[in-house]
Amino acid sequence: MLSLSARPILLPKPRLRRLLLPRPLSAATASALTPPTPRTPTTAAPADPTPLFLRPPTHPVPPAALEAFRRRAAALVPPSAPHLHRHLRWFLADASTPDHLLRAPLDELEALWLAHVRDRRPFQYVVGNEHWGGLVVAVRDGVLIPRPETEAVLDMVRAVQGFEGGWWADLGTGSGAIAVAVARMLGPHGRVFATDVSEVAVQVARLNVQRYGLQDKVEIRHGSWFEPLEEVKGKLMGVISNPPYIPTGDLPGLQPEVGWHEPKLALDGGKDGLDHLLHICEGLSSALKPGGFFVFETNGNKQSEFLVDFISTKWSSSFRNVEAVLDFADIKRFVRGYRR
Amino acid sequence: MARALLRITTRCCSPLYAPSSLPSRLRSHGLPPTLRFPSLSFSASAASTSSHGPSSGKEEEEDDQGKYENYLGMTDDELMAQCDMGTFKSSGPGGQHRNKRESAVRLRHHPTGIVAQAVEDRSQHKNRSSALSRLRTLIALKVRRPINLDNYTPPVELLQILPLKSTIRSKDVGSQIGPNNIKFSPGMQALLDLLFAVEGSVSEAAKILGLSTGALSRLILSDDSLRAAANELRASKGLKPLR
Ligand SMILES: C[S@@+](CC[C@H](N)C(=O)[O-])C[C@H]1O[C@@H](n2cnc3c(N)ncnc32)[C@H](O)[C@@H]1O
Repeated sequence: MLSLSARPILLPKPRLRRLLLPRPLSAATASALTPPTPRTPTTAAPADPTPLFLRPPTHPVPPAALEAFRRRAAALVPPSAPHLHRHLRWFLADASTPDHLLRAPLDELEALWLAHVRDRRPFQYVVGNEHWGGLVVAVRDGVLIPRPETEAVLDMVRAVQGFEGGWWADLGTGSGAIAVAVARMLGPHGRVFATDVSEVAVQVARLNVQRYGLQDKVEIRHGSWFEPLEEVKGKLMGVISNPPYIPTGDLPGLQPEVGWHEPKLALDGGKDGLDHLLHICEGLSSALKPGGFFVFETNGNKQSEFLVDFISTKWSSSFRNVEAVLDFADIKRFVRGYRR
Repeated sequence: MARALLRITTRCCSPLYAPSSLPSRLRSHGLPPTLRFPSLSFSASAASTSSHGPSSGKEEEEDDQGKYENYLGMTDDELMAQCDMGTFKSSGPGGQHRNKRESAVRLRHHPTGIVAQAVEDRSQHKNRSSALSRLRTLIALKVRRPINLDNYTPPVELLQILPLKSTIRSKDVGSQIGPNNIKFSPGMQALLDLLFAVEGSVSEAAKILGLSTGALSRLILSDDSLRAAANELRASKGLKPLR
């Protein structure tokens, strides 16, 4: 249901043409003018998988040319989306240095900006990062962009007695955001084991671990949920997971930035959205050591209420203090508790 | 720099008094029955036993202990636990459904009703800490705690913002803390408390602080928000503004 044919095909308005005309059309901009076909799934998927903000600034640009680009790019921002002006500032901040060097040729920046404004490609994929939990997390197409709601998980981990010295698991680590942020709070004996089935996620998570110099504290393992964690079973102080939880039927209605561009593998939680959450619950009691802590993110009120009820009735002898926790929008976003 | 980016909303009249027992009452009953993030438990003793607590006379101590919360002596987590954080005004389902970098964080401090907001940073995290530090400044400016002048010793956080020439400032207080230091807020609050107690008289306050009137005026004028708060206080006592 996320097939390309579902995408509205937007033809450039005259203003867009003005942006493109004075420049030679690169392959990426050319495809931006052509309706997407199944053979070119992402209009501006970069040839270089290195996130833009991490590429070396090797392209000199005359200040006037950069300023002209800034004006053309600003002119593309529709009045209905004023926040894109802020994105443009951040885009230029990430793509250039104060001494007029760019991290990609100007043509490529034009194409990237166009993809953001017109194709609704998430800003975070364009620059290759998201500012999250006090970190700058590298992201790229194929991994979920960490959400601000999820930051609350870090405070919940910090509130667990003795968390600094424990072994933690982050299941479905994606970009590795949670794993890296948790590892940074741990003491010398603390460790994080993070798993993901997605190869791209494993690559990006490793990049983030390395960027923060946490190779000694975080291990990224490829595989499904608890599967790669056999030998730490029963030894974990905590299990954290933000698994895919969106009910399959809701996927077509998602915001274009999400539904068109983020991986379905990271979002689709099955019919009720609970497939993965329930699977993880099943594995919890054997993975956690006695007294161990768990927290999951959920789709919100109904899922959280259901899970709290389910865990506390079905496994009342295994868990205690199971409760839903509100996010900053007052939605019951998390379920947490302790193994007895 | 961050300051310039802050938009401030204050929803209370000024100066704001911290009436006895109100903060703790709101704290225990003001929280919703459902668990709220951040759910760090707040300990009242952390606030009232802080060594930089409000300086009240010895005899007053019993009365005042716990009456006037030393909000600025709290850690960020403790202060945060007394706040509501409103970010997503019209939120929808949120979480995995949504991609939107929020531009603002808005904190409402329950016990005082003060609202502080930070905008513009890319990081929600940073917006939150800017909003918290803005909240600290607003608390310093708005929350007045009574002082017993008969028995007054300026608290150390006030001594720290005084110029070195103050005759009541001993060497171990260290160098002078300026308006850009986060420790300026508690000193500013104590200074305004004193100014309030002496009915806005800068010369009275200066005497107590071992400074010339001119030196204390210069200190007050060195920070825009401090000057504005001092002048507002003086205006309420029918005094001319400092300039
Ligand atoms: C919603 S994303 C969360 C990513 C990251 N933890 C975060 O909060 O930003 C869910 C993640 O679960 C991963 N995932 C999906 N099925 C999985 C499975 N069977 N085993 C492990 N991970 C899986 C996806 O690849 C995706 O990275």
